[in-house]
Amino acid sequence: MREKDKIEILKDILFAEEHEFEEKIAQRVELLEQTLQEREKLSKKVDPIVSKHIEEFTKSIPQTLGPVITETLKEEIRLHKDEVVDALYPILGKMVKKYVAQEMKLLSAKMNNQLGFLAFWKRKVKSTFTGKNEKGLMFDDLNVAKIEQVLLIEKDSGILKASFAKSRAMDEEMVSGMLTAIKSFVEDAFSQRDQNLELIEYELYQIHLQSFATHYMAVVISGNYGLTSKNRLQDIIFDFYNSFMAMNLDLVFETNNSENSIVPVEKSKVEKELRKYFGNAKI
Amino acid sequence: MQKSKKIVVLGHFGVGKTSLIRRFVTDTFSDNYKVTIGVHITKKVVEISVENEVSLILWDLEGTDDIATIRNSYLLGTHGAVFVFDVSRPSTFEHLKDDLKIISDKMPKVPLMVVGNKSDLVTESELKEVLDEQEISVDFLTSAKTGKEVNTLFLKLATLLTTDA
Repeated sequence: MREKDKIEILKDILFAEEHEFEEKIAQRVELLEQTLQEREKLSKKVDPIVSKHIEEFTKSIPQTLGPVITETLKEEIRLHKDEVVDALYPILGKMVKKYVAQEMKLLSAKMNNQLGFLAFWKRKVKSTFTGKNEKGLMFDDLNVAKIEQVLLIEKDSGILKASFAKSRAMDEEMVSGMLTAIKSFVEDAFSQRDQNLELIEYELYQIHLQSFATHYMAVVISGNYGLTSKNRLQDIIFDFYNSFMAMNLDLVFETNNSENSIVPVEKSKVEKELRKYFGNAKI
Repeated sequence: MQKSKKIVVLGHFGVGKTSLIRRFVTDTFSDNYKVTIGVHITKKVVEISVENEVSLILWDLEGTDDIATIRNSYLLGTHGAVFVFDVSRPSTFEHLKDDLKIISDKMPKVPLMVVGNKSDLVTESELKEVLDEQEISVDFLTSAKTGKEVNTLFLKLATLLTTDA
């Protein structure tokens, strides 16, 4: 036996375990290579089928899952109203902000028109004397109170006797009845028959109610209706009532107390007078 | 010349006051019962004769079991009144005499029509029996559902008011 063969035998004896290990690694590498090759083959066959299924599933979501999702959302919204409000609040806020900004732009344009030299000094002087700031005065100028409609109504029955309106958009006879019913209810509810309901606010409009013995007047006003406007309006109403209505409406209208010799005033004549007093009145 | 007259329509709960007015004003009827709260006001212009029209302002007052509790302020200045009861519900007319006395005390000299509504729900013989038992004098037996006698009622009242005035 040669020296070389002896060394080989000795190697085999000494490294027997390492041989086994080497073989196992070789087997595993081979297995891995096989798996990878098979997967690639499988993928080529399966992928189109899976893609088609996914596509069909996506398309059918509205029909299959839609009602369930809707119901779930409804339930969630019902159970978490506060959270929903919280979530929507910023969006709504932005919308409101946008609207306000738009309105401010318009107001600003109007204000610019008001900034004429004369108007400027007029406001300056007025501001000095009244102590009210110029912006406030400017705003008042832009939003003056205007008489939109006047109704002369019999106090007890609520029957409309005469009216004046810049534009007619409602049945004045029914409105007169309703105003009388509201007035009666409020005055009755507080058990104060000697006191009268004086003002009804309706969004952009205010209805001033001025009571007399047998009749009352309802004046619909738009704009900034303050104390000064109220005083001016009352002056006009009193002037109209005292000079035209001859102190006692029972005498001029056909009522149960009237006598045959009294000639009732025609409705058209009263309406003419209403137009004269209220048509161009500034309050 | 057109005149306006205030008519109040009153009676117990659910006797058909609102339906009666609706039939008269819009010629419609609905089985859907909604309670009137406070007062509801509607209007209809009635032609009595050529050149003689009257505008009826109809105050439909909320129903009540106790007629005495009706707000007096709603009755002020009334030109004519209609008291409605339900012919199929005795509880709405068993104290009719007392109810009418209260009404005439509240509105003296005001023409009043007594109306038995829902006449479509009972037979004529049943109706006669009931009315005879109660010694009730009824001006009209109406049906808001079929429209029977509804226009006649309001036309008669309007005529009465314009001839009285």
